[in-house]
Amino acid sequence: MVTLEFHDPSGKLEITQPHAPRLATLEGKRIGFVSNEQWQAYRMLPLLKEMLEADFPGIEVLPVDTFPQGNALIGNEETAALVKQSGVDAVIVANAA
Amino acid sequence: MKNAVSGLGLAPDAAMVTFPIDMFLPGSDITPVRSRKREFYEGLTRWQSRFAQSTAGAGTMLSVEGASHEDALNQANNLLLTNLWGDGLPLWPATRERVDWILRGAALPRTHVIGKFPPRGGVTTVEICAVALAMAGGRPEYLPVLIAAVDAFLDAESNSDQLQATSGGPFPVVIVNGPIAREIRLNSGFGCLGPDPQRPAGASIGRALRLLQQNVGGALPGIGTMAIFGAMRYTNVVFAEDEAALPQGWRPHATERHGYAPGTNSVSLVFASGVTNVQRRGAKKETPEEDVLNGMWRMADYMRTPNIAALQGYEKGTPGIMMISPVVAKMMAEQGWTQASIREFLWENSKIPLAQLQRAGAPAWLEIDSNPVTRASIRFDPWPIALKPENIVLVVAGGDHPTHYHWLQAHSPRVIGRVVRVPESFDRLLADADRDLGCGADECRI
Repeated sequence: MVTLEFHDPSGKLEITQPHAPRLATLEGKRIGFVSNEQWQAYRMLPLLKEMLEADFPGIEVLPVDTFPQGNALIGNEETAALVKQSGVDAVIVANAA
Repeated sequence: MKNAVSGLGLAPDAAMVTFPIDMFLPGSDITPVRSRKREFYEGLTRWQSRFAQSTAGAGTMLSVEGASHEDALNQANNLLLTNLWGDGLPLWPATRERVDWILRGAALPRTHVIGKFPPRGGVTTVEICAVALAMAGGRPEYLPVLIAAVDAFLDAESNSDQLQATSGGPFPVVIVNGPIAREIRLNSGFGCLGPDPQRPAGASIGRALRLLQQNVGGALPGIGTMAIFGAMRYTNVVFAEDEAALPQGWRPHATERHGYAPGTNSVSLVFASGVTNVQRRGAKKETPEEDVLNGMWRMADYMRTPNIAALQGYEKGTPGIMMISPVVAKMMAEQGWTQASIREFLWENSKIPLAQLQRAGAPAWLEIDSNPVTRASIRFDPWPIALKPENIVLVVAGGDHPTHYHWLQAHSPRVIGRVVRVPESFDRLLADADRDLGCGADECRI
């Protein structure tokens, strides 16, 4: 038998920070949207807001345009700071395609 | 999305609710959002990453066994493909011996980290570049150009994290200036955007860059990259400017664009999304002046199109690369055309009437652009395809033949330059290449 050894070509990944912990419940929580305004987000996110408000007592879902929108703005530090300052418990980011 | 979060240092998974593309189209039925609402709620409450907070993947050696060397080679290629690390063409397995041989071309330690390859975020070392070049069939003397190209690719201003994933399918174009191009057998002449057995360097350098994009950067078709068509993605484009053919007074691209002194070994990286041939030569009894001017108009006519993807480079990038063959550059220079006056002509005459932009829906894209300079350009009628003529890249390359230009339309926020660093032993590597492949590029007949 001939054995051939060679390098894994995929490169190392470094996981340097954990994902945010999940919420125990959505009841009474404050939820925000960060929208790129693409791919029918202008229709889907209001629907999601409506469903969350109907299904979870005391939930506060911020308007879709609370934070800067658009691909060019949602990834920057200023938007991240605004999200933090808003005191939301969780954020839904959409839409990718 | 998974790639994007791992590129940020998070685990390579994320809470997502995915739907078929139909739902994201204008006029779509979005009721599946309602019927699958529990998945959104669980993403916010119950989802857990499958990965621990640690280092994941790679740095490891793989192993296959076969009844013969050829069988083992087959097994290795099968393993690379089934792990989604291949491109469909035969690969050299990156054995220790082959990678160590390639690393003779490194001016930096093998463990040197160039950056993280977006969007997946794979740690990009000199060694992993050598692994890719080994798989792509490269040689040690190619490594300095690959390293410089990777460094340019990973420049934050290149926007490569987005361009890797976008549906537009941009591919990197690496323009090489300086004597290294000829020394390593990089093509600047006939067929310079394709295969050439006499000047084979561009094929494996470009293929290695593509393997890095896919394997380390995660740009796997339909998963990590949404490139709808993915043109030019076997080898990308790596070629040299034909500096020896530059007319009197014309400067190398790297000097014009990046300010490098003539004779500096360098790369210049542009993302392009297409390659278009422009037939320029006259068909009858044109005078030399008519022949040149007609050709200039045909260039401008091809450029006069609302290429939305090029908006990213409106201010500081480029609308594209115009490749002019040496003999045509000579004809133009003899009639007094300079690089600056050619750009000025092309810029002025590729402006698009506002009505044409409007019928194509282009102003909406201008309005949502993140760059206020680009947004403000909507006031121009006709609208210039770039903020200024200097943004247009002109390169003298290609076969010495007068019939065609090539226009590579860009999708490139910047044009990124890097000086190429070679190891002290580089002359030895070139001597080895002469031994293996025959004499230098001018007379080479491999």
